[in-house]
Amino acid sequence: MHELGVAGEILDVALSEAARHAAKKVTSIRLRVGVLRGIEPENLSFLFGHLARGTPAEGATLDIVEEPVRVECKGCGVSEARSFTWACPRCKGEGVSVTGGDSLSILSLDVEA
Amino acid sequence: MRIDVERSILQSADEAAAAIRALLSERKIFALNLLSSPGSGKTTLIEALLSRFDGKGGVAVVEGDIETEIDAERIRRHGVQVRQINTRSTCHIQPSRLLAVLREMDLSATRLLLVENVGNLVCPAEVPLGEDARVVLLSVTEGDEKPLKYPLVFRTSDLLVITKTDLLPHVTFDVDRVRRAARAANPAVEIFEVSAATGDGMSALLDRIETLRAAKSG
Repeated sequence: MHELGVAGEILDVALSEAARHAAKKVTSIRLRVGVLRGIEPENLSFLFGHLARGTPAEGATLDIVEEPVRVECKGCGVSEARSFTWACPRCKGEGVSVTGGDSLSILSLDVEA
Repeated sequence: MRIDVERSILQSADEAAAAIRALLSERKIFALNLLSSPGSGKTTLIEALLSRFDGKGGVAVVEGDIETEIDAERIRRHGVQVRQINTRSTCHIQPSRLLAVLREMDLSATRLLLVENVGNLVCPAEVPLGEDARVVLLSVTEGDEKPLKYPLVFRTSDLLVITKTDLLPHVTFDVDRVRRAARAANPAVEIFEVSAATGDGMSALLDRIETLRAAKSG
């Protein structure tokens, strides 16, 4: 259920940005979410829709851009993965360094005046 | 019309955490944020730290829990300043709540602040509390796949404490597997193996925490 807090933060940002630009309606919100955040997109959208009822963001869609983890392997270079791994997805070698995948950002809003 | 925002969803939490960090720096208080699943030994580790710092004074504890004051009462018996944060429907301590509590506490003599987060490996990992060091505990009864299942908490922790090691003969838990997975998530993580029941490994852990504390608060 940690999506509830995230949905609330998204709504707060969307409403304050919309007000700042004198927009009447928010139609979509683009997010970047790292795969390590454990966010369930459907759950997030459901909770956001619930919270946004009666606000200018009611009915806005969440457009989620997934950020993979970056795997640096001593044996075969750099690749990406959709979940955390301790072995290289390509050569299965260990001793990898795993970075990225922890973004939780609002990229942009589409609004109507 | 498209509005470019490009800001972290956690920005308001980050700002509150920065305010906590400033408060702690000004007062030279060293703060630990303790994270783990329920029941892996956070309160027990706090009690061990209290025994270690007994007589030196200056320890304050903030207990996070969904509903009860059970842990706070357990710590209060040690005669230290303790405050409870009940998070209700929230699965972690919010930095804004912690900041409000710290502003109400008398921290004039405090050198070490121990914050026991809500027992949960997901939400507390995402939210910074302005701590100096983050400690994740993993008991051997929980299984050795936790770093693969919850990588964020292992990536963001400075110390990994493997607890209840006296139970290793009775459970399937590959300590080396946990070490390798945790290091893949966070090459800099310092790993300790302890048993509060037998005392094995406890002094090495407490020594390390004391070294970290002394480096900040003298």
